[in-house]
Amino acid sequence: MTSQILFDLAVAGYVCATGLALAHLLHRHGLVYRLASLATLGGWICHTVSLVHVVVETGRPPLGSLPEAVSTIVWVVVLLEMWVERHHGVRVLGGFVMPIALVLSLKIVARPLTLPSIGPALGSAWIWVHISLVTVGIAAFVLNFAGALMYLIQERQLKSKRPGAMSYRLPDLETLDRLTYQALAIGFPFLTIGLILGALSAGAAWGSVFTLDPLVALSPMAWAVYAATLGGRAAAGWGGRRAAHCAVLGFAVLVLTLGAGLFLPGRHGS
Amino acid sequence: MRLFVSGISHRTAPVEVREQLAVEGDKLREIMRDLQIAGVVDEIAIVSTCNRVEVYAVAAVPGEARTLAFRHLCRYRGVEEAIVDPLLVTHEHAEAVRHAFRVASSLDSMVVGEPQILGQVKDAFALAQSCEVLGPTLHSLFTQAFAVAKRVRTETEIGRHAVSVPFAAVELARKIFAGLQGRSVLLVGAGTMGGLAARHLVEQGAFPVYVTNRTWIRAQEMARALSGTPVPFDEMATVLGSVDIVITSTGAQEPIITRSMVEGVLRARGGRPLFFVDIAVPRNVDPSVGALDGVYAYDVDDLRQVVEANLRERAREAERAETLVDREVGKFLARLQDLEVIPTIVSLRERLEGIRVGEVRKTLARLPDALPETREAIDALSQAIINKILHAPITKLRESSRAGAGRSWTTLVQELFGLGGR
Repeated sequence: MTSQILFDLAVAGYVCATGLALAHLLHRHGLVYRLASLATLGGWICHTVSLVHVVVETGRPPLGSLPEAVSTIVWVVVLLEMWVERHHGVRVLGGFVMPIALVLSLKIVARPLTLPSIGPALGSAWIWVHISLVTVGIAAFVLNFAGALMYLIQERQLKSKRPGAMSYRLPDLETLDRLTYQALAIGFPFLTIGLILGALSAGAAWGSVFTLDPLVALSPMAWAVYAATLGGRAAAGWGGRRAAHCAVLGFAVLVLTLGAGLFLPGRHGS
Repeated sequence: MRLFVSGISHRTAPVEVREQLAVEGDKLREIMRDLQIAGVVDEIAIVSTCNRVEVYAVAAVPGEARTLAFRHLCRYRGVEEAIVDPLLVTHEHAEAVRHAFRVASSLDSMVVGEPQILGQVKDAFALAQSCEVLGPTLHSLFTQAFAVAKRVRTETEIGRHAVSVPFAAVELARKIFAGLQGRSVLLVGAGTMGGLAARHLVEQGAFPVYVTNRTWIRAQEMARALSGTPVPFDEMATVLGSVDIVITSTGAQEPIITRSMVEGVLRARGGRPLFFVDIAVPRNVDPSVGALDGVYAYDVDDLRQVVEANLRERAREAERAETLVDREVGKFLARLQDLEVIPTIVSLRERLEGIRVGEVRKTLARLPDALPETREAIDALSQAIINKILHAPITKLRESSRAGAGRSWTTLVQELFGLGGR
């Protein structure tokens, strides 16, 4: 119960942070930016405590069910957002990442966090590694998507030769491209190893890798998109707009996968 | 004593008058000293640039001081007073403070946000300081104006965006590349604006610079001026593959950089962006080049459009700066009032404290057997007495300064307590 209240508080913090970050995007006021950072940090701290509470209460990582895992994804996303914002000086990042984090957390805000979990499969320690790795991978892809979105907006403004309000706020194309690439390069190995472990555990627990489960069915697609982007970047020097489009496509498949996992019945529980 | 500023600027006076009235340092020194020695002004500083000639001063009769100051200036340059007089704009007290802050923050400039004016005001301040015609009022006015200007520059984006075509090119390059350090530039042709844009890029760290021209001698000259490398005109296509930014400004009637030429080099670039700045009319870069992936091509009209957008952006930022200046004016006025009475309050306190300490020492010397508690009680008693006595005059001084009558009350208090002035 306590963890639910803390989580609600965290979401309230994220709601404020999203509003303020969007306001900062429009008005570029130093004070608004500081308030947005503060709200983000406040929400994140509540979120952290709520996750710790789950661990203490249940004696396992806060990854026992899909909503729990999504909550943890949001936690990692916000952490990465704060880090990248400070480290790369991309002040407008919050305006792009926080709405996504908010949408992800709103999906689970109405449900109790600790649901009866996935069952016997969770007995294996590998399954926790599977979930953790995939979680970090997905969080990195949220950043990948946000970077790509900013890239596409900035690129369009520069191509149209009418630098509008957004062009003044967004960083340069190279920085955005680098951000997108780094997020992809970090997210991909996590997702890959995570999915392999998942497949192995599924084989061990359910007897077969190919079961009727939305996550199992859709996640290879997302993986394939990211694999193709990374391959294209490394081999054919894809960059810029093409890589950004791939990031958007990959994220769309990822959201579809997660959405299907959350709302359709399947072995991952919902 | 009143603070005022009076002068002419680009807002009211035509350039013929401004250039006639602009006076150099040595003469300004003389004029400022004369006015102070004659007792016309208490404090004075004169800002003289090509866009404004303004007298900042503290005087008992601002009208008289203004007339005399400009009579000096006019006489020195042989300008008729009757021409200048109707053009003079005068601000007093709060409005003078606001004007000083706005000028230093470049809100009153012809091109709002231009950075030179702050340096010019600082020079004027240094000049006045060096001939000792500044007092506490102007000193704190100018130091505060510099602080406000700095805040405006850092907290708003008033001076951030380019308002000339060559600088707009640099700014766009910064939106494409993460920093210009080590970006290579190819300059085609020897147009003035193209050369200027290349120079700005070099100043920001762009390197190396290649220069090409149909006339080899011109290419060499321009390359020398930019510390670049001259390249024969027919080898332009080869260089195109390796550079990041291309500036064209030739008189060619047909595009010299065609779509097929750029397509040819793009494959080898591995997705690195390529930025064309085409300052020539008619255009040197085929317009369809800009449609290629990873290529950004701006012609002179596009750049002008960027400049206009930037000017509008500056105007928006200037509004934010004005509110910031408003707040600072309020703060400064409050401080200015205190400035008038604080020295008197301090010396009044010191005076009474001196008497108290002396008397307590004498009394205690006569009571060698007194217990520590008794000594403390005597000390506390004396302190309480002077605090009670001081309360009314200090309150009165503060009130009077807020009501604008600080001067007469400070004189009164100084006379009554024998404080001997500042």
